[in-house]
Amino acid sequence: MAARLDAALGILNGLVGDYLERTGNPLATPMVCQPREGLPNSSKAVVLIHGLMGTEEHWAFENGDDYGSLLSRDAGWAPRYLRYNTGRSIAENGVALDAVLEAMVARWEGPLDEVMLLGHSMGGLVARAACHVAGLKTSGWLPKVKRAIYVGTPHQGAPMERIGRVVSKVLKAVPDPYTQLIAQLADLRSDGIKDLGDADLRDEDRARRVASVSLKDPHHPVPLLPQLRHLLIAGSVSQTPWLAALFGDAVVPLGSATNGLLDAKILPGILHMPLAHRPEVYEAISAWSRE
Amino acid sequence: MNRWVGVVSILRDAVENGSRAVEKIQKETANRPFAVLEALGPISAPAKTVHAVHDATVTATHTAIRLVNRVVTGAVDVVLSKG
Repeated sequence: MAARLDAALGILNGLVGDYLERTGNPLATPMVCQPREGLPNSSKAVVLIHGLMGTEEHWAFENGDDYGSLLSRDAGWAPRYLRYNTGRSIAENGVALDAVLEAMVARWEGPLDEVMLLGHSMGGLVARAACHVAGLKTSGWLPKVKRAIYVGTPHQGAPMERIGRVVSKVLKAVPDPYTQLIAQLADLRSDGIKDLGDADLRDEDRARRVASVSLKDPHHPVPLLPQLRHLLIAGSVSQTPWLAALFGDAVVPLGSATNGLLDAKILPGILHMPLAHRPEVYEAISAWSRE
Repeated sequence: MNRWVGVVSILRDAVENGSRAVEKIQKETANRPFAVLEALGPISAPAKTVHAVHDATVTATHTAIRLVNRVVTGAVDVVLSKG
């Protein structure tokens, strides 16, 4: 029951979390980073950051395992699970994650040699936003991050949101009160969802937003940090190259999830949501994290 | 308990904002036939009067909805805060 309620709140936060936050509604999910009971601590932390409308439950396999618990068992990583309001802008969540990680590193029991970030979908963008903020502030946790893993992350934006933006603009232009109402309802989607269109990581990126189906600028103004090693994992609906290129994982196109990198890992047949809890993805993560 | 306060709050906001949106639509929809009637010389004056009465009625109805909404949700808030 509690898990279902949490899942419902995760969806509500993804849809209108920015509004809940602005109005001080207690349903707005505060950002928390927690360990899972029964898993040992170590000097290596992996922080799992879920995607839009999610909670940490999205990582769970049917048998209760998840990438964090498996990394703990196989390679001694101490997982920490982030829960946050995915309706807030990615920039706001990046600032909040910077503070949460700073606190986590400061309060860590024993030595902490390395922090690895693992984000699914929007979670990868929040990780990137936090790294950007930490780089500007020279936060203490950033030097401990040597690796980051992005699973189904729309590094170059999500065309479905860009299509929604155009539809909303077209509806607004129709001088009919009922159509205007539909446009207003369509525009209720949260800042977090709107940020996914062009993968906007900073407040200033959102100011450049235009209603266009094509990406405003394929060269993102916030590049992947060069001092980190990055693993990009993309799913695809099909093994057929043109289908995979066209539809990606059914939510994020291949080019966006791989960010154009040739060494990105592409897993045919795995759709967007299952990317958060599939053995094939774990195998890729596990092999790469041992390198 | 905090979550129930949040649910009540979001319901209150939904009714409040929904009522404002519907009020706007009802007035804008009525504006079209009234604009035609008000352009017809002989019935222009009575049409303007009926238009004003219509708009006032719509406003009063939605104001009453919003008032009741605030009173009811305010009362529930009080009950929840004491529970």
